[in-house]
Amino acid sequence: MNPRQLARAAVALVFGIVAVACSGGASSSTTTSEPNSLTVWLMNGSAPQSIVDGVNADFKAKHPNVTVNVQIQQWSDVTTKLDTAFAGSSPPDVVELGNTLVAKYAAAGALSNLTSRKGSFENSSSWLQSLTDSCTFGGKLYCVPYYAGSRAVVYRKDMFDKAGVKPPTTMDEWMQAGQTLMDANKSDAGFSALYYPGKYWYAALPFVWDNGGDIAAQSGGQWKGSLDTTQSQQGLTTLATMVGKLSRADKTGDEAKQDQAFIQGHIAMLIANGWEIGVITDPKTGDPSLKDKLGVFPIPSRTAGKTAPVFLGGSDLGIAAKSKAPNLSQEWIGMLEGNKWQTQMATVGMVIPNSTTLLSLNDGQPLVGTFANAAKNSRFVPNSPNWANVESANVIPDMLVSIFTGKATVAAASKSASDQITSILNSKS
Amino acid sequence: MCAVPSTTTDEAAASAAAASGPRTGSPARWRTLRRRLLRGATPYLLIGPSLVVIAAVMAYPMGFLANLSLQDYGLRELIAHQGVFVGAANYARLVADPLFWQVVGRSIVFTAVTVALSMAAGTLLALLMERVSGPVRLLLSAGLMFVWATPVVVAIDVWQWMFDYEFGIANWALTRLHLGDFVHHNWFETPTQGFGIIVALVVWGALPFLVITLYAGLMQVPRELIEAARSDGATAWQVFWQVTAPILRPIFAILLSLSTIWDFQVFNQVWIMLNARPSATYYVMGVYSYVEAFRVTQYGRGAAVSIVLVVILMSVTFFYVRQMARSGGLD
Repeated sequence: MNPRQLARAAVALVFGIVAVACSGGASSSTTTSEPNSLTVWLMNGSAPQSIVDGVNADFKAKHPNVTVNVQIQQWSDVTTKLDTAFAGSSPPDVVELGNTLVAKYAAAGALSNLTSRKGSFENSSSWLQSLTDSCTFGGKLYCVPYYAGSRAVVYRKDMFDKAGVKPPTTMDEWMQAGQTLMDANKSDAGFSALYYPGKYWYAALPFVWDNGGDIAAQSGGQWKGSLDTTQSQQGLTTLATMVGKLSRADKTGDEAKQDQAFIQGHIAMLIANGWEIGVITDPKTGDPSLKDKLGVFPIPSRTAGKTAPVFLGGSDLGIAAKSKAPNLSQEWIGMLEGNKWQTQMATVGMVIPNSTTLLSLNDGQPLVGTFANAAKNSRFVPNSPNWANVESANVIPDMLVSIFTGKATVAAASKSASDQITSILNSKS
Repeated sequence: MCAVPSTTTDEAAASAAAASGPRTGSPARWRTLRRRLLRGATPYLLIGPSLVVIAAVMAYPMGFLANLSLQDYGLRELIAHQGVFVGAANYARLVADPLFWQVVGRSIVFTAVTVALSMAAGTLLALLMERVSGPVRLLLSAGLMFVWATPVVVAIDVWQWMFDYEFGIANWALTRLHLGDFVHHNWFETPTQGFGIIVALVVWGALPFLVITLYAGLMQVPRELIEAARSDGATAWQVFWQVTAPILRPIFAILLSLSTIWDFQVFNQVWIMLNARPSATYYVMGVYSYVEAFRVTQYGRGAAVSIVLVVILMSVTFFYVRQMARSGGLD
């Protein structure tokens, strides 16, 4: 580059900076007509990059002048970030929300009411019921179902074969299989037949539900925590016995690193989401050679011939009430939630798509199919705007840690957790 | 920047007062009055800018916080930018909450232990630095500087790795040294052990400042006093308590009050060490306030906890400042 070109480039750069600096002020006053950018917050691990890129390309084709800015958020601190963003004057236009968080933000007036726009979304008549329920607050629709996930047991077929055990079909068989695996791997002091980090509360719920217990029940407008009922306690006792005998995972740890631990080869079973198979077999994050050694079975029930009800996790897509581009947001969401990209979510992203018409997509898949089947017998957390606070206050993880570490008995820990849940759910939000 | 207009305003006010003067008396009387006024105003003109800065940086947020603590301020109010005044309800709720009193008690014990340990270790290291040879002193201060230069968050992450359940070097080393079976030992399962690590981490982080300040103080202790005491047959213990300590008293007082303030409001070390999800047995005041405000999204209640924290710290500081003034440390 010769000096004259350099000078020209410098001048251009200065003009560019001035232009950018000025556009910050100018854009806010002119956005009412046609916003030229759309900010989208997606959660870490939700849509594979290829799908995000594909949706953006489709969107760009229709709106060449609009820049879509997709930002990936982490689950661990997302509520604090969302609170701050929604309080500000320019929150992200489109937000992905965990299905247990929607009620909180809908009740606080952070999300746009989409009831009148529902018909414009593809498959809106066949959306998964429980996701639609999580989007509904006070009879109005505040978000669009995005995808669902349910948990099952991922296991190492080679370890099962070596120990001579088969995938269990009842809770008792599960316990016995675990014990046999522990005995077969006695020499490995770090071996876990079932790797269960103490704070993994999503995986504890099937035990509670399978015994007829629940987190809380509502009657006459008042919530009452029910983790301390005989049924719930029975489930928690079974879980505690299992964890005590079969798991050498950190009793105070959470499940964030469980896939990394699984890859090390000292774990026979893991309670995991469908997409975690992808993490485990990914060449970068995991070990591709495990691909043929993995099997999946649904969490067994204590009753033969049934499976335990699982927690239906998932995400929804909402539009911020303060968004300056609600129409563009709606279009972008419409693409991600429609047939074209939901098919990709199911086959590439290995999650459960948002519509019952797409559920059969995973039938041919031996691993992912099991997760989709498990979702058919699924339950949800109490649908209250205060539920997010129960999660934020770590009530259930703390209870599990106290039980597993022997700091409190099942009876005492579940009583105190239950009281706390009653109090949080009934407090004015 | 904010201070400049205020100075000019003050000057303008002074000259305005001056201009309105002559009507009331003879020119000579006016001149003395003017001189007296200016002389009286000078200190205020000088202190004015810093007062304005302090007001903008400290008083405004504090007032805002106090105001917030009297409101019911949840997520809905945050988004609407409008709280509901509830008087002292947030404080009443706090006082009635047994968890709050546990947190206060835990914070006091934590602060007492941490301050005592860091002061003791800091003094010992400073005395050591005074006695060792030059190169060793250089090594020692370089080591302290490294500790000081490590960003807090990085330091906490390193400590977290050292005491990790699965891969920690502490468990590995203790097992290798045959001090017991520490394979899969969980340091944070019981709060006593967990707080042991956290106290060690806070003390470790506090040492550089304490040691270097105390070492600088020790340099000021007149050699001849110590030599005189020694020749009078005083033991090392006696020399320290009867000669060195009284001279260092003002420095001790300042370090003690600063350490108390820092340790009482400890947050990062607990929060990051426990993966941003500490169980209630690990709540100290700072953590509790954060959980109430940002996790449970009750900003009014979180503000009330913060105000209590500020009041406690202010009374501690007041006590030390008064002690210091009495002992003649403030000249």
